[in-house]
Amino acid sequence: MSKEVANNNNVKTDNRADKLKLYSIGSVLLLIGIILFVNILFEALLGNALTFDFSDTAQNSISVDTKNYIDSLTPDTHIRVVGLFSRPDNVSGTPYQYIIPLLDDYVKQSDGKITVEYKNINENPGIISELDPTNSYDLASKEGCFIIQCNGNIRIISPIDCYSIDSDYYYSTGVYLVTANNAEYTFTNAMNILTSGFSSKAYIVTGLKEDGNEYISKILDSLSIDVEELPSSDSFAIPEDCDLLILNGPNGDITEKMYVAMLDYLNRGGKMFIAIDFNTKNVTERYERLNLLANQMNINIDSAMIYENDPGYQLNGYGIDHTVTSTDMFTGYASIPFLHATYSRSISARLDPSSTLNLYPVLQTSKNATLVEYDTIGNVVDNSVDTTGQYNVAMYACGNDDSSAKMFVFGTTNFSSDNYISGYGLNDSNVDFFRSCIKELTNSGENASLNIATKAVDDYMLDSTKTTTSISMTMMVIFMIVIPIIMIGFAVLVYAKRKNL
Amino acid sequence: MYAIFKREFLSYFRSPVGYVAIAIFSFLSGFIFFSQFSGGSVNIASEVISLTSFFVVIVPIITMGLLAEDKKRGTDILYYTTPVSLFNVVVGKVLAAFALFAVMFINVIIHIIVTLSCGGKFGVGAVGTIIVFFFMAFMFITIGLFASAITDNQIVSAIVSFIIILITQLITVISDYVGTAVTSVATVLHVKSATATAIGNAIRKGIAWLDPFVKTQDFRLGIFSVSSLVFLISVGFLFMYLTFRVLEKKRWSQS
Repeated sequence: MSKEVANNNNVKTDNRADKLKLYSIGSVLLLIGIILFVNILFEALLGNALTFDFSDTAQNSISVDTKNYIDSLTPDTHIRVVGLFSRPDNVSGTPYQYIIPLLDDYVKQSDGKITVEYKNINENPGIISELDPTNSYDLASKEGCFIIQCNGNIRIISPIDCYSIDSDYYYSTGVYLVTANNAEYTFTNAMNILTSGFSSKAYIVTGLKEDGNEYISKILDSLSIDVEELPSSDSFAIPEDCDLLILNGPNGDITEKMYVAMLDYLNRGGKMFIAIDFNTKNVTERYERLNLLANQMNINIDSAMIYENDPGYQLNGYGIDHTVTSTDMFTGYASIPFLHATYSRSISARLDPSSTLNLYPVLQTSKNATLVEYDTIGNVVDNSVDTTGQYNVAMYACGNDDSSAKMFVFGTTNFSSDNYISGYGLNDSNVDFFRSCIKELTNSGENASLNIATKAVDDYMLDSTKTTTSISMTMMVIFMIVIPIIMIGFAVLVYAKRKNL
Repeated sequence: MYAIFKREFLSYFRSPVGYVAIAIFSFLSGFIFFSQFSGGSVNIASEVISLTSFFVVIVPIITMGLLAEDKKRGTDILYYTTPVSLFNVVVGKVLAAFALFAVMFINVIIHIIVTLSCGGKFGVGAVGTIIVFFFMAFMFITIGLFASAITDNQIVSAIVSFIIILITQLITVISDYVGTAVTSVATVLHVKSATATAIGNAIRKGIAWLDPFVKTQDFRLGIFSVSSLVFLISVGFLFMYLTFRVLEKKRWSQS
């Protein structure tokens, strides 16, 4: 009997142990479940709301301008952004560093009007036909790019489109130096193009020894203008759908065939933008045919370089790098009337103008500038320094109605060249001014593009005078050798004192 | 709790452990700082986030003796006999290790001072990374403490915490392998290719969601996410509770 009682007692003890064990395991599992549930719920409900952008230049947040644009969209608008790649777990140090967090903010602030998804082409091959059923854009070759889709149309944005690269630095070192972050500018304008419905077509004439057209293409693209290159050739012809013809810094004259085609284009009410400067590549070029073409619009392209004598207009003390002022009619084209011109060619009014056209000076020097003429082999012509006075760096000619021809001629490429824009960025006043000129030529108005400010990239540079090699080495010795050795010394001391305790 | 905190914190400096930990931290943070400084630009946020990847080395050193040493000496009996709750014991020990991290972080504060004196930048984004650094430190300390609670051997404790922290660092890589494996298995089982891929991706994402390093990577870009902090602190509490249960187990198993 007593044995049975003892056994019963043992059973009771085991049961309690089992119960405690069960309680222990159960409570841990319950806690894991609660933690998972709370985290998933928190992330889903408050994850976006409680994510803040503390970056110095608000790289990861959309600006008020973009927010206003999104708010102006009707509630049924759906802009779909698809990244043709798997979303990287770590974007730091990749081209997506300033893009993916920004797109997250688009989603956060759009109330469902904008969605962003990431589809790896290899894992989701169907996404290509889904976005581009007619395969007009060859999306299979756009892996790594972003596709924006709205109203059945798409725009393609490559990560590189989202940055300004210093082209001078690149040409001299072969290294990409990012000077500005244009991600918001690029994405918002692309969305605006798709939602506004405005579209236009510009052709940029190439093959005239000009430099690149990368940035001008970006700017036109942001203005809802499709851009295509029009190479100079024996069969040169201007397509019927051309709304705007651009010659961006040609260093050679147009051919007779091109002159005829362009003249015909102007007679049909064509719109042209010509930017031409005075540099070492074109110092002997007289641009006879191009000048003849400009003459049809009462504009004359002079074979002389402007030298600014007014110290108040000179930049860095150089007469060839100077400020120009926009004339009264064009002051609203940029936020400030003082713009930057370099190696400017004088643009003047034709001596025997046609009375049916209106001609306006656009940009002017001070009243203290002079012209320097060069001969056909590039030497300064003796006694060529012209009368001191005010000269035009840009002129605008147009008819009395929108259907007639219009032409801007700039005697500097500082408003449209890759070289300038890559260094000064898309926010520069010159670029703003250029945009306004294009809007004037294409009648696109203010709604065609949004003035989204580009952002400076994070800059953690130190004062170079304080980061010499010797100081760097001192830092290394202190932080990597002295402090650790002192600490190890203490450790040895403590160990030696206490090892026998 | 304060008595335990004080005892544990001072014990770091009555043994070589605290000094060795500070020496290692100083060397590693100094290396990252020097690498940036010699390049002419210093991003403190990047330095702080990079330092979190060295928890795998530092945390086991700091936490290996927290409970294992007491068990080995038999002094852990005091936890059960003195009028202090076991949870307070756990909290006190976590706080002591956390305080040592704060002492180690003085190195980074010196780096910040040097950066500012050299014309560098220390913005709000970097403050965010410091906050997440300490939240991660808390989480990994609790993992280390748990490892210390399950054994009476400091070396075993260090190895266990090292392995657990290493696994957390490799979660994303592991998730890729598991996702691929699941997709392959599903394909072998004649599941439709798209479905198999979707299942594999879902599992991959599910596992990768647990990766604390991925959750906190964007802090270096100036993105401050409260949900990441909630995750870190909740995992920390989970391991504190696990440690508490392990200690509790001894109480009732002895009874």
